[in-house]
Amino acid sequence: MSDGKKGGIKRRDFLKIIGVAGGTAVVTGGCSPEPVEQIIPYVIPPDDIIPGIPKWYASTCTECPSGCGVLVKNREGRAIKIEGNPLSPINSGSLCARGQAALQGLYNPDRIRGPLSRNSSGKLQPISWDNAEKALLEKIQEIQKQGKGNKIVFLTNHITGSFGNLIDKWLGALGGGRHIVYETFAHEPMKEANRIAFGTDKIPTYHIEKTKYLLSFGADFLETWLSPTEYAKKFSHSHSYNNKAMGKLVQVEPRVSLTGANADEWVAIKPGTEAFLALGIANVIISEGLVTNSEAGKLKGLLANYPPDKVSSITDVPEETIKRIAKEFVELGPSLAIGGGTATTSSNATQTLVAINILNYLAGNIGETVNFGESLTISQVSSFKEVASFVDSMSKGEVELLLIYNVNPAFTLPESLKFEEAIKKVPFVVSFSSFLDETTEQAALVLPDHTTIERWGDLTPREGVYGLIQPVMSPVFSTKATGDVILSISNQVDGIKDQFTWKTFYDYLRDSWKNEFQPKLAPEKDFETFWNEAVQGGGLFMQVESPQVQLSDGVAAVQFTEPRFQGEGDMYFVSYPSSRYYDGRGANKPWLQELPDPITTAVWDSWAEIHPNTAKKLGVKEGDFLSIESPYGKIEAQAFIYKGIRPDTVAVPLGLGHRSYGRYAEKRGVNPIAILPVATDEISGGFAWLSTKVKVSKTGKWEKLVKAQMSMSQGDRAIAQAVTLKEIQNGLHGEEHHEEPDIYPPHKHIKHRWGMSIDLSKCTGCGACVTACYAENNVAIVGKEQVSRGRYMGWIRIDRFFEDDSEDGAGTRFLPMLCQHCDNAPCEPVCPVYATYHNYEGLNVMVYNRCVGTRYCSNNCTYKVRKFNWFSYKWPEPLNWQLNPDVTVRSVGVMEKCTFCSQRIIFAKDNAKDEGRDVRDGEVTPACAQACPSKAIVFGNLMDPESNVSRLSKNERGYHVLQEINTKPSITYLKKVKWDKA
Amino acid sequence: MNQETTITYSKVNRDIIKMLDKPSSKWLALFLFDLAVLGIGLFCFIYQVYTGLGVTGYSHPVFWAVYISNFVFWVGIAHSGTLISAILFLFRARFRISIYRISEAMTVFAVATAGLFPLIHLGRVWNFYWLFPYPNQRELWINFKSPLIWDVFAVSTYATVSTVFFFVGMIPDLAAIRDRVLEKPRKILYTILSLGWKGSNWEWLHYTRAYLYFAAFATPLVISVHSVVSWDFAMANTPGWHTTIFPPYFVAGAIFSGLALVITLVVPIRIIFRLEEYITIAHFEAMAKMIILTSLIVAYAYIVEPIMSWYSGSPHEWGQVVFRATGPYAPFYWLMVFCNVVVPLLLWFKKIRTNIKALFIISLFINIGMWFERFNIIVISLSHEFEPGAWGFYKVSLVELGITAGSFAWFFMFFLIFIKTLPALSISELKEILPAPTKEAKSE
Repeated sequence: MSDGKKGGIKRRDFLKIIGVAGGTAVVTGGCSPEPVEQIIPYVIPPDDIIPGIPKWYASTCTECPSGCGVLVKNREGRAIKIEGNPLSPINSGSLCARGQAALQGLYNPDRIRGPLSRNSSGKLQPISWDNAEKALLEKIQEIQKQGKGNKIVFLTNHITGSFGNLIDKWLGALGGGRHIVYETFAHEPMKEANRIAFGTDKIPTYHIEKTKYLLSFGADFLETWLSPTEYAKKFSHSHSYNNKAMGKLVQVEPRVSLTGANADEWVAIKPGTEAFLALGIANVIISEGLVTNSEAGKLKGLLANYPPDKVSSITDVPEETIKRIAKEFVELGPSLAIGGGTATTSSNATQTLVAINILNYLAGNIGETVNFGESLTISQVSSFKEVASFVDSMSKGEVELLLIYNVNPAFTLPESLKFEEAIKKVPFVVSFSSFLDETTEQAALVLPDHTTIERWGDLTPREGVYGLIQPVMSPVFSTKATGDVILSISNQVDGIKDQFTWKTFYDYLRDSWKNEFQPKLAPEKDFETFWNEAVQGGGLFMQVESPQVQLSDGVAAVQFTEPRFQGEGDMYFVSYPSSRYYDGRGANKPWLQELPDPITTAVWDSWAEIHPNTAKKLGVKEGDFLSIESPYGKIEAQAFIYKGIRPDTVAVPLGLGHRSYGRYAEKRGVNPIAILPVATDEISGGFAWLSTKVKVSKTGKWEKLVKAQMSMSQGDRAIAQAVTLKEIQNGLHGEEHHEEPDIYPPHKHIKHRWGMSIDLSKCTGCGACVTACYAENNVAIVGKEQVSRGRYMGWIRIDRFFEDDSEDGAGTRFLPMLCQHCDNAPCEPVCPVYATYHNYEGLNVMVYNRCVGTRYCSNNCTYKVRKFNWFSYKWPEPLNWQLNPDVTVRSVGVMEKCTFCSQRIIFAKDNAKDEGRDVRDGEVTPACAQACPSKAIVFGNLMDPESNVSRLSKNERGYHVLQEINTKPSITYLKKVKWDKA
Repeated sequence: MNQETTITYSKVNRDIIKMLDKPSSKWLALFLFDLAVLGIGLFCFIYQVYTGLGVTGYSHPVFWAVYISNFVFWVGIAHSGTLISAILFLFRARFRISIYRISEAMTVFAVATAGLFPLIHLGRVWNFYWLFPYPNQRELWINFKSPLIWDVFAVSTYATVSTVFFFVGMIPDLAAIRDRVLEKPRKILYTILSLGWKGSNWEWLHYTRAYLYFAAFATPLVISVHSVVSWDFAMANTPGWHTTIFPPYFVAGAIFSGLALVITLVVPIRIIFRLEEYITIAHFEAMAKMIILTSLIVAYAYIVEPIMSWYSGSPHEWGQVVFRATGPYAPFYWLMVFCNVVVPLLLWFKKIRTNIKALFIISLFINIGMWFERFNIIVISLSHEFEPGAWGFYKVSLVELGITAGSFAWFFMFFLIFIKTLPALSISELKEILPAPTKEAKSE
């Protein structure tokens, strides 16, 4: 250093000036009215938390009854992502969009933030937990004094295990109140049909993965039926092309669901007549002697009544189709017939399922592809009859205290059941809900529970899967576990005190695992080991063999009837459960609202699907509001014109139309349940969703139907390519692409060139990858108005193309489209400031800080996967708590796009470096590939010839989208394989 | 025509410098209205910067639209000025004399307007200087492969050269004004601007040389700048953009639109300032003939584009042609064809092309048609590219309309000031074609 000879500032002077300036800043800062916040460092850092290193906690998803195992990622005390638990036999590491969106339940800005009580003016008002519990305690003591303990009703969703037991025990102790377990989709006809056919009222697990020929009568197993993530995985296993063979799916339903869109054949059956088709097929199987089943004799008499010609006239299915399916069902086995999808549950639903059971039995599928050992616990929920009688008793004033946990019957029960009138007759209603939904609005006292991510619990979705729920972070709001509330109240109620000695629900849970599960599952282990293993692994999982079942003689006595429909209209009304909202509980999660529907690609609203011919008849185009009128009410929804629906049918998805359920759900779309009658399946008494004929008319109002994708088909552009099974069996050739010489040398890659392969024969279009990407990469939610202007921000989108040549909706092609990380990327040379460039690992890198926003890169992007930040998007508190700290939140005016989850690549490389090795194949999994239930996406290093992705990209089905543009993408798509037309 | 007999050197001086007299109340009203519109544009721009580009109608994948249309439109307008002043000068086309100053002014102001739009359309306009190659401690450099950088150079070069050329051509006239005005401030202004011009023979000798060199220097720029602008599109792989015909097509279109705007501007000036003696029907007819020629070139390009698309066998290229002609934007496409191809056919009739009213109306049609040509190229192409899964639809927003209106106001603001401060017709060149004054000539 110079000696400071020449004047200027000396080091000391400089520091003084800085000191004064800093001090001034502090003083002026001190005058600001903002409260002082203090950042207190860890004096003694906790041993198990390293800042920057995520912790993963195993738990169980409760977004629907299928009970997938999950791993929740926790960074510095906050849950930031939910992924599937690889140990869980249900979802094996994948997770659907709904499960991932549970985080937005946790951080929902409209969550109830503490206990509420209704004040004198009838408004819900915050109170303290002590007072809230006191209010409930006083009510219970009063009821107890009056001896009306049997007039308490606890209404819950499907909760199994310890919490359910606690409620039952508590109700018993209080004097025999009722515990109603209400699930919107309870699958009662399945249970009843199995009782009739096999003498066991269980709902089995189906081994779709072993099936080569799957005949589905309206079972939407890729969306909501029983266990969609599990069945998507199994379906991918059976149906994707592998080694010159693939399974076949025939979907029988009046309106093509996502499952139907993935089918190889769609049978557009007359609504509600599936039973006859199944019987007709069985008739052909027997009469043509396709099987020699010793029990067939039992059925001969029954089936003789259903020859194909008669069945054809009932069902609208051509005779040849019936005969062909019968033949294929036997010959292309192992086969499986399934049914019982909500949308096709009509007044003869049990009969349909009996007929399906007969089919399975004839083909010898019971015990093979139908496993009654791994039976689902959802068969234990209360029947619709019980629910209806409970509503009735409420209206008669027979309920003194109603406790509501995690259900929203005011929304999911048809208005004609008059639930809302009935609940007003209950003197005291307590809700434990986390959200102010339609039912909770009616409560006098709200004691918000933790969400699943913040509490202890357990869930047994089926025999052999005993899931545990553990808190992953401390509660976001002032909420309290309902189990704890029950215990703390019980401790103060005379007479039952000594039955409830547990301090917390956690103690109760441990005890019940100690007393119930351990002796049964692992008696040899000491409890602490057993417990820790269970908590760490997210529960205990085992396989259960199927018991042998016989066809019972009761089958012959079943009367098969045509379905009954109410209403004068000429259109069948199909209301189907949404793959995004389930029964409506997903509607308050913006990820799900903005996830394009797989079929329509619509977002943030409802629609009504009608056939093009019907549309022509009504003079309706897409976006026209249709009035749909049943004897019970009228709804208005925008038309979506869809080839995959019968001309005499109109379909509206369930889940929207909330009156209250937070800002994201309220006043959005319509609730088709509102116009449904209280109709039931004749035999089981389950709710019949397909029971109404409606009048459909044009209202004259039009609005653009907001969809993420404008086009319906790809026309003559081979974006999503397919080959037929015969073609590929004969060998694909002549597809060699001629490599043009380049002026510039190719990019040099050091050690890694990251690449991806996407198997279109596996992709079902479900959209789990899209939500995973939103969660991982802090992708902004823009809302309906912005999506209508094409400003949907998703980095990965599912292109959905309906087949042009086919008359029906089956065989829709889905193609996940994301940044192709082209080796010859058109976006790179056009950026004037080098904000996007190619790195030495083959990634097309986007430098947000350097971007000035000319948007030229997007204009020149062949695949149109670049998204622009039109605004600074905001995450309302506390939704922003979910943001992934490893990924920049982009600001206004910059371009963004898929990074191949570069943060995950860096994480894996750092790990490998720490351990002194190379990154292993499969060690880096981008969020999309991780979430994919059908494992269609494979990621890895293309420089490693042994890697999975290298192998797949040399697959004979491999191609690059828009290869002729010579962009040299890093993503290889594997062509979809289709069955040849029969 | 008997102008040569009635116009004298002093009359020229008087008539042209009279235009610079104290502005009338009409001028003031017009100017204030213009400033109001500019204010609206400015407000829209500030609002856009403050809120984000989301206030525009941009819709994935249409990421360029009205702003870039305006940019190309104004750059195009900027063309014919230099064409008339430089190229026609080199070709010794006498008819340029009466109109070249107005067209040069139009050029300079149009470039000044065009140059705004690449900035207005930026996502982060506050970082616009990153587009220039300036040394910085982060060692960040610009990407010379990007046509946008070529644009930066092409347009700034063109702006510089055309401004200098504009100014150089005015020096003798400014001196003439200096000599005539009496008020002190104006005297000082024109004294400075005229750079001490005395009109000596020695000065004229060097001046005419310099002017010739500038004309020669500006000529290739006329061709290059719009070729470079066309590369913004032609170098991209977007169907509808990626075509080799773009440079000549754009240059011809630019001249076409520029000539039309010259007519649009000159007609009212001629009437308001009673310049019928200086700007005659013959001048208009000459411009009309050039419009016919450039219209034919543009029409040729319109025909070639679909033929090449069809011949390519590419579903994307052909899909683009079909989409333009039959898609939701088809009215704009056919409007463009009508304005740029059908309407100019009327100019084949001498009666029409010598009718000032008809010419004025036709010029308006061409202005509209050429604006939509740019809109069609940009918006229609982008909304219907390779991937059917990502087709979009763009609808203009109020903010974009406000800024577009503001840009016209910006242009006319300069033009209105120009009319009142600088000689709108070249005094010295008008004198070149007058008979030299003799002793017999009537003096004043």
